[in-house]
Amino acid sequence: MLNPGTRARVTGDIRAGVTGEVAISGQRYLAHPFDRADAFLKGDSVVVVEYEPPRTVYVAEGL
Amino acid sequence: MLLAAEIPGFAVPLGIAFVAVIAAIIIFRSMWRVPEPNQALIISGLNRGKDANNTAAPNESHGFRISVGRGKFVIPGVQRVRTLNLDLHEANLVVECVTNQAVPVIIKGVVIYKVGDDETSISNAARRFIDQEDQMDAKVHNVFAGHMRSIIGNLTVEQLIREREMLTEQVRSASEAEVQKLGLVIDSMQILEIDDPSDYITNLGAPQQAAIASAARVAKADADRTAAEAEQIARAQIAAATRDTNIKTAGFQAEVDKANEEAKQAGPLAEATARQAVIDQQAKAAEREAERATQELLATVIRPAEAEASATRTRADAARDKAIAEAEAEAAQTTKVGQAKASVTEVTGAAEAAATKATGLATAEVVKATGLAEAEVTGKKGEAEGTALKARAEGLAANQEAVINQQMAERLPEIVAAAAHAFDNVDSMVVLNGATGVVDAVAQIATQGMAMYGGLKDAFAHAETPVTPVASVGASSTDEAPDSEAALDA
Repeated sequence: MLNPGTRARVTGDIRAGVTGEVAISGQRYLAHPFDRADAFLKGDSVVVVEYEPPRTVYVAEGL
Repeated sequence: MLLAAEIPGFAVPLGIAFVAVIAAIIIFRSMWRVPEPNQALIISGLNRGKDANNTAAPNESHGFRISVGRGKFVIPGVQRVRTLNLDLHEANLVVECVTNQAVPVIIKGVVIYKVGDDETSISNAARRFIDQEDQMDAKVHNVFAGHMRSIIGNLTVEQLIREREMLTEQVRSASEAEVQKLGLVIDSMQILEIDDPSDYITNLGAPQQAAIASAARVAKADADRTAAEAEQIARAQIAAATRDTNIKTAGFQAEVDKANEEAKQAGPLAEATARQAVIDQQAKAAEREAERATQELLATVIRPAEAEASATRTRADAARDKAIAEAEAEAAQTTKVGQAKASVTEVTGAAEAAATKATGLATAEVVKATGLAEAEVTGKKGEAEGTALKARAEGLAANQEAVINQQMAERLPEIVAAAAHAFDNVDSMVVLNGATGVVDAVAQIATQGMAMYGGLKDAFAHAETPVTPVASVGASSTDEAPDSEAALDA
């Protein structure tokens, strides 16, 4: 179970229209930008804004 | 019988209890199910909604309990338990498809996936694949074959080959919905092999391969050339070194030979040097001997001869001076006599001429009428003859010196012989100054002769002058006188 605010590391580029990937505690989750204008590159640190079971998260720029 | 009698009465209930405990443990053990670390227990049946661990999704009507890593009590008969493996699965894909550039390719790939670890994924997978896990790979293959076509249709061959991240991105985007519905997680999707019937990939690499081959040939040629140059340079250096070595060897050998030859010649050289020194000393000794002989000759011969010559010269000078003085004295005397005679003759002639003139004038006056022409002719003739005679007399007077000289020249050998008579008494004469000495001696003799010649000449001149002119005058007078006398007589 993922709580909003969980930190995640980008393992696949995240941008609008493309499914990205983040790693959270060793688990891989499919990721989309919470704000469609955002884009994150591999290696960036992001924060989970919303979790959509089973394995999809929406992320925003890390604090 | 004996054994039953010995068993105490409390032992029977204790044994029963023990057996009951054992039986309870066995029963409990058979009802308590524990999953393997890579398994999930799917428990369906009684009491399914009271699982404390399922609080996260209480409203998700799984219809069963899911347990991962923890044991569960399963009541046989009212509950059933199944296991779902969570370990890795691999599905091989062989797909004929077309790339973004409409290039037909046959892709051989592999999809590595597993059931997701979250309960939703396990629930989805359990509903779909439980009891069919052996067919999971085939079903996943079918799903991903379609996805592979759509994914590769969005990629170019170059991206397939080079951009793995692009492929992963495309897989995620294309399969997102399906994999979540199936409760799977795609760990990796790889292209193992690309069959290229149109040789697109081969041609893709051809320019680069040609360039690489060209560069390789160029590099090889350069390397060969460099190596050949280096070899040639090395051989040239070796040859130069060999040459230098030979030159130096020859030079050293020449020095050795020279030293040997010098050593061989040292003996003869020393001998020759010694002999030369001996010869030098002998030459010096000969010079000393010659000097000594010269000194001896000087003392014994030359000095006396010089003294004798000096004496002879002195005597000759004295005799010459005496002769000169005598000749001068005689000449002076003869001159004075001649002058006196001339004065007498001149006075006499003048007187006779005056007398004759007076006589002639008187006679001419007398015979003027008759013999004027004859007298005139005769006068002319006489004049001419007088002139001729006068010229002759003058010629004789002028040639008197020449006559004397001729006579003296004819007698000069005798004069010189007389002068050289002084040497008659010298047995051997040593001339000191070589040719110059001889010339000096002859010159002295000639000088003496010439001196005597001069004296004799003067003597002759003074002796003959009064005679010859007188004779001439006398002759002319004799020639003229008869005319005058004839005239006078006439």
